[in-house]
Amino acid sequence: MSASPLRQMRALLVKDLRLELRTRETAVAMGLFALVGMMIFQFAIGTRTDDATPFAGGIIWATLALTAVLGVGRTWVPEREQRVLDALLTAPVPRLVLMLARSVALVLYLLTVQVVVVPMAIVFFVRDAAFSDLGLVAVVCVLADVAIAVVGALLASMSVFSRARELLLPVLLLPSIIPVVIAAAGATHAVLGPGNALDEYWRYCVFLGVYAVVFGLVAFATFDHVLDD
Amino acid sequence: MRAFGGRRAVDGVDLELAPGRRLSVVGPNGAGKSTLLRILATLLRPDAGTLELAGHDCDHHAQRARPSLGYLGHDPLVYLDLTAWQNLELFGDLFGVDDLRNRIPDALSRVGLLPRAHDPVRTFSRGMAQRMGIARLTLHDPVLLVLDEPYTGLDAQGARLLDGLLEGFASGGRGAVMVTHELGRAVDLADEVLVMRAGRAVDRCDTAGMDAAAFAARYQELTA
Repeated sequence: MSASPLRQMRALLVKDLRLELRTRETAVAMGLFALVGMMIFQFAIGTRTDDATPFAGGIIWATLALTAVLGVGRTWVPEREQRVLDALLTAPVPRLVLMLARSVALVLYLLTVQVVVVPMAIVFFVRDAAFSDLGLVAVVCVLADVAIAVVGALLASMSVFSRARELLLPVLLLPSIIPVVIAAAGATHAVLGPGNALDEYWRYCVFLGVYAVVFGLVAFATFDHVLDD
Repeated sequence: MRAFGGRRAVDGVDLELAPGRRLSVVGPNGAGKSTLLRILATLLRPDAGTLELAGHDCDHHAQRARPSLGYLGHDPLVYLDLTAWQNLELFGDLFGVDDLRNRIPDALSRVGLLPRAHDPVRTFSRGMAQRMGIARLTLHDPVLLVLDEPYTGLDAQGARLLDGLLEGFASGGRGAVMVTHELGRAVDLADEVLVMRAGRAVDRCDTAGMDAAAFAARYQELTA
């Protein structure tokens, strides 16, 4: 028998994607939530100003941060509801592998939502956006998603045994990802806002990368103990 | 010892199980049976004391002991929205089982679920789902079975299947620890019975030549 971490991670990821394809409970709910959020911003801001471009970055990332909370909140739900957690925890899977698989699944859910929501937000809120800007925004999405997913998977796992987890998770997660929202909104604004400020864009991107690496290291150092009793 | 909020759920239990031996753990509700089992399954750490499984010190190397373990609770511990095959594929990969393409049909046919291999477990009856749990439990060929009231929800056929599994397991030199409320089964299927009350082991006896009715009387006395 050979239980390599790579094989285990692939199995966990395939499981998450199979569950999502069958139940459509996470990505679809996140997508609908993000669309409704965008529409609310459109009515609240878009219809009251001639040019919402300066607010676009903030609107996009405020919506996506709340959407991410919804997605992170669904983490471990099938395991808890279907009581599979004990089976996973008695399997010889390093806890870090469990977290990495969760993080990758979260990144995929977030990217799926963003593929629909970000272009829509640009149409709603940005005047004269260039097609090439989408590529730069995609880089921001990937970096911010990795950062959110690492923190989200860590906090979701910390609160999995908590009785008040539905309350605890947003209370812990939202303040933790404020730096990500600020940087991602800043980078998006630097691309979509008036006058492309590429220096500023790259500074924010580096910050997002550093944030993801730092929290990745924190997760690496702590996760083995998080899911253990 | 393991305490929850100052209450000692398991206290001073000293247990050793030789290969090929089966142990039943019985006791009234709240006796600490399930907590003891969760410690044995490496799901809980004892607050004091040590646990060694298959030669591995679980305080520091629980991960190394886990491939030797098979754990089944009241629930089958499988994903209801995955098919039987997908569940076994997942747990086979997690335990590093080789040749899954042949092992999965074998495991499913042992529990009579091969014709339903590609149906989601959610469409199974309670007993079928529990049989699915048995297939998951045995797929990686564990050395020690840790079973918490595994007969819950099983029909007569499923119960016979589990009986046979436990007997075959012991004859193969492997061990089993089972919590049950059925005293007859505890005596018939195990080599030893451990009686717990208020977190403590109050009796441990060999079942060889033991009469189930006599044990029931003794149990009443011990747990009164």
